[in-house]
Amino acid sequence: MLFVPGDNAGALSTAFIYKPDSIMFDLEDAVAPSEKDAARLLVFQALRLPEYRDIERVVRINGLHTQFGMHDLEAAVAGGADVVRLPKTETADEIRALDAHVEWIEQDCGRPVGDTKLMAAVESAEGVVNAVLIATASPRMVAIAIAGFDYLVDMQTKRSGGAEPELFYARAAVLHAARAAHIDAFDVVYGDVDDDEGFLREVAIARQLGFNGKSLIHPRQIELLHHAYAPTGDELAYARRVLAAADEAHRHGLGVVALDGKMIDPPVIAQAQMVLQRAEAA
Amino acid sequence: MIVPTSDVRFDVISPADLPGARAEIAALLAASDLDVDGSIETFVVGRSAGRIVACAGLDHNVVKCVAVSQEWRGESLSLRLATEVVRLAASRGQFHLFLYCPPHNRRFFKGWRFYPIVEVPDVVVLMENSPVAIRQYCDALAATRRPGRTIGGIVLNANPFTLGHRYLVERAAAACDWLHVFVVKEDASMFSYADRFSLVAEGVSHVDRLTLHAGSDYIISRATFPGYFLKDRGVVDKSWAAIDLLVFREYMGPALGITHRYVGTEPLDPATYAYNAAMKIWLEQTPSPAPPIVVVEVPRTMVDGAPISASTVRDLLARGDFTGIGKLVPATTLHFLETEAVQHESH
Amino acid sequence: MKVIKEAIAGTLESSDLMVKVAPGTTGKRDIVVHSEVIKQFGAQIRRVVADALDKLAVTEGSIVVEDKGALDCVIRARVQTAVLRGAAIADFPRNALS
Repeated sequence: MLFVPGDNAGALSTAFIYKPDSIMFDLEDAVAPSEKDAARLLVFQALRLPEYRDIERVVRINGLHTQFGMHDLEAAVAGGADVVRLPKTETADEIRALDAHVEWIEQDCGRPVGDTKLMAAVESAEGVVNAVLIATASPRMVAIAIAGFDYLVDMQTKRSGGAEPELFYARAAVLHAARAAHIDAFDVVYGDVDDDEGFLREVAIARQLGFNGKSLIHPRQIELLHHAYAPTGDELAYARRVLAAADEAHRHGLGVVALDGKMIDPPVIAQAQMVLQRAEAA
Repeated sequence: MIVPTSDVRFDVISPADLPGARAEIAALLAASDLDVDGSIETFVVGRSAGRIVACAGLDHNVVKCVAVSQEWRGESLSLRLATEVVRLAASRGQFHLFLYCPPHNRRFFKGWRFYPIVEVPDVVVLMENSPVAIRQYCDALAATRRPGRTIGGIVLNANPFTLGHRYLVERAAAACDWLHVFVVKEDASMFSYADRFSLVAEGVSHVDRLTLHAGSDYIISRATFPGYFLKDRGVVDKSWAAIDLLVFREYMGPALGITHRYVGTEPLDPATYAYNAAMKIWLEQTPSPAPPIVVVEVPRTMVDGAPISASTVRDLLARGDFTGIGKLVPATTLHFLETEAVQHESH
Repeated sequence: MKVIKEAIAGTLESSDLMVKVAPGTTGKRDIVVHSEVIKQFGAQIRRVVADALDKLAVTEGSIVVEDKGALDCVIRARVQTAVLRGAAIADFPRNALS
């Protein structure tokens, strides 16, 4: 998910060139208070650009308790955003309230009810401990993200690099919440854009833990991430063989799939499909 | 580069914080051969890793002291700086901005969308942030143009309007087919522009073939003649008067067909004395595409052996000497001073 | 919508534009556009600006556009922002923006 500041006309006009899987137009932390109105209008207009049609469009609104949040939400929903991202989510009630507002706006602007999805970013201890409740608070929820910087401030510590035990629980909690709710989990932003090695180390951890994606702040991170998530040659070859075996079993009307003398359970087949998808995305 | 890894953070440095940052700003300006202008109250600065790498000063509606550190040269930072300055000015209600730059630096400001008004060759260029403002101003002036061979112009501060001003206006009107009188708009005098203007209007109402024009940013303003407003400190720079006079010669002159500029002799105030001398240079003598304007110095009227001067009137006002004032100003001004100008802080 | 005070929006950076609006003095709408690509795109820029103003029902005022190569959607957004600021409107008047 590539972050793009909502008040940057140049960025909004061209970010699609980098072909991110998903783009997040930011009305919140990237935008100064005096420019919130300007950013809202830029994003509202940019959402309609045909070049963004095939990219998932996420809008990070300001919290609904701020003077900006409700107007942001209206612009996002009426503008056609695929997903609204709520920052600093702490409770399930916040998601339920957001859901109700979104429904009202959809009805008011003639958008099919349910069309707009939601994602929550947890950025505090409270958000992390409520992760499951948040992730399951609405049928619109499609993802939950852990936002590292604010979270660590709340935890009264900071990033240590390396194995980073200070993020372990938050990552685990958000992942479990995502899996329990059958939605995606996004890992933290990696802030040092010049440190490819550090970025890749972190991505490897996130991938191993099972994160579906990561929040990115620089287009060059997109390619690095895709490669990191791309299956190895061996993995890909194996996945292809699994799917071929499943195919063959299906054609012969067999209920059981076998490969190399071993039984292949349905989860393995599902995983093989995901491997192929990741290979295609890279 | 489209993404927000902007390494430079912009901040506004208010007057209170200026002393702390002054040394760093001065160093940055010095690298571009610029001094810190003392009249600047607020700076916009861009910092990278805590170091100031770009700055621009704002003095009301005039942008001054602009510099970008050598290693950050290149359009994008300069344009962000421009945006921040314009936004700062707008937050203070200033939308029509002026900027001075050395002629060899013009290219630096190309993307800032400031447009040149006049240039003192090899010294300085005055620019404004509108492609049309001065042209629209001149079009409005030209609508009041009158035919004649001798068209006069006078610029008055009139702080307040005295018999000396009246005499100058009468003498000029008598010598011209038509006379255009401008009142300085800048509110930096003891009496407000509104008051000064209405006293002038009352004081010249008996004069025929005269048009009284409102003041503007283009005549003896902070934009065209900042030095004028420093005259208490005795700081007068000839080149500053040049800008103001060249604007008059190249814009007001042709718009109205002005052939003569009338001014009272100035025996007392050194700044105005120097300004009169500069007039002859820039209005009459300097080669220019605009026709020369003849400068006519009219000797000041005297009362009790002394030339009438507005500063004398202000001194008498401070002492409450209305009898003395009465000898120096027309009845309309006296009435105003007696009834309305009760309390005035001296400027 | 009535522009009641001067306002600006946008930036001077590449792919953006700066819009300045001011209340009308002549009862008419006066649009000035400056752009490095005025020859190729001047008419289109003016059209996009005029269209945005029409939807906001702005019938008088001065609008000055300093274009730095902005897309139509950016022009629309900046004109809308400047007008809303100049009209001192804090809402998001969705129907006047499309």
